[in-house]
Amino acid sequence: MRLFKLTFATIFRKKAWAICLFAVLVLPFALPMISSATEKPLLLQPARIQAAWATLFVCTMLWGFYAAASLGESNTKSGTGEYFRTTGLSATRQLFEIWLALFSYIVPLALLATSICLFAAMPSDPDEQGMWWTLNFQYLALFLLVFAPLLALATALASRFGGITGFGVTLLIAIYGLYGVSYLDIMLKLEANSVLQALWLCSPQYRFADLTQRLYFKTGALSGEVFTNMLLYFTAILAVHTGISRLCFRSSANA
Amino acid sequence: MNATTPSIQLGSGLAIGYSSPLAKFEQAVELCGGTHFLLARNGRGKSTLLRTIAGSLKKLSGDFSTEGFMQYLPEDMRFDQELTPKAIFQALLHKSKHEAAFTLADRIELDVNKMYGRLSTGNRRKTALIMAENSVADGRGNILLLDEPFSGLDAFARETFEEIWNQTANNVLRLVSCHPDYDSMHMPSVLLIEGSKISHHSADGQKWSSLKALLN
Repeated sequence: MRLFKLTFATIFRKKAWAICLFAVLVLPFALPMISSATEKPLLLQPARIQAAWATLFVCTMLWGFYAAASLGESNTKSGTGEYFRTTGLSATRQLFEIWLALFSYIVPLALLATSICLFAAMPSDPDEQGMWWTLNFQYLALFLLVFAPLLALATALASRFGGITGFGVTLLIAIYGLYGVSYLDIMLKLEANSVLQALWLCSPQYRFADLTQRLYFKTGALSGEVFTNMLLYFTAILAVHTGISRLCFRSSANA
Repeated sequence: MNATTPSIQLGSGLAIGYSSPLAKFEQAVELCGGTHFLLARNGRGKSTLLRTIAGSLKKLSGDFSTEGFMQYLPEDMRFDQELTPKAIFQALLHKSKHEAAFTLADRIELDVNKMYGRLSTGNRRKTALIMAENSVADGRGNILLLDEPFSGLDAFARETFEEIWNQTANNVLRLVSCHPDYDSMHMPSVLLIEGSKISHHSADGQKWSSLKALLN
């Protein structure tokens, strides 16, 4: 795990993770102070939930993807990828170790956002508290399942096409999957179009993994069947992205 | 062959290059533990040969085989600007090797607490070399392919590394590409790329001065 340790140390030294940690820790408490929640205390907890998850999404999509792309590009261009490959560390293993090092920073951020929702926005009704735990852990699982392969994709694309491409393409896929597909859905409901319908069908529906509204309106946890189906759906996307990432990833400029 | 004895067998007809051959072995060559220099003028294929042996590049024809734990240190290998050599050694070396790495760094005057981005070219080379030398696997043969490790390195650091190389010659095979800078440099085993031919020259008292005329 030498590359994992080197990558972990590199991310640690760059200190951008500290800004994300600060944002995820502080913004859920600070942002509601400048919202309408100050006038309606009832809105304080929903505002905190929204701020916690929005901050986590922004940090992951901006810093996470940027760091992933930067690590992928430098592994190829700096000669470290080639060095590790000659020591017997395959390209697959290199991609895994780089991804794991970055994911080790994303997981605590996600756990922190979940903890804020659990301990600083827990419903007072004891009947709702069980549902709240379940829903939060469902959200955490889906969030990690969606972003884990995207981080690997950013690393892999950057190793072959450069950091800007790795970051930009992955960010666009995430934004499209979270928000774009909803607009496409609305367009298709207004007017049928076979091309757009085909595009919609093969689009990653990341919006289903965004459970903020469920937390916001306390509409309850996902049923076991729905949650299992979503896990399977996002696992399939993970498999596709993992395959693409492995095909794209290269450890050296001449590999 | 003993498991702790490294070797590189380069077959007759082994051709290196990208789309077209750069150079070719006309006779088979066998390299064993110790230091072997790789000499050629710029652009003749030194890095290409090292990369081919390391498995980073495909050979164009012929065969070769290696025996031992391989490490190829590219000439332009660099680490993140914000890492310190200390952090690099701690990340890449086994805990038991940390002390040896820090001692060697101290001996050749490498500040392990300075950020990599602020190190001079020579000190960056020292960082990579210390890492590679201390990554050598114990109890088995090792192959270290070093691409121009002396560029930017001061004479004292260079002598220190050559001393280490002599001490570990039994279980480490080093193939070192370089541009010698003094005529009396001792080179008992040399792979020479002359035009499109790669040949092996070995003799106990062989020096750079006797090989210089063969480079074209």
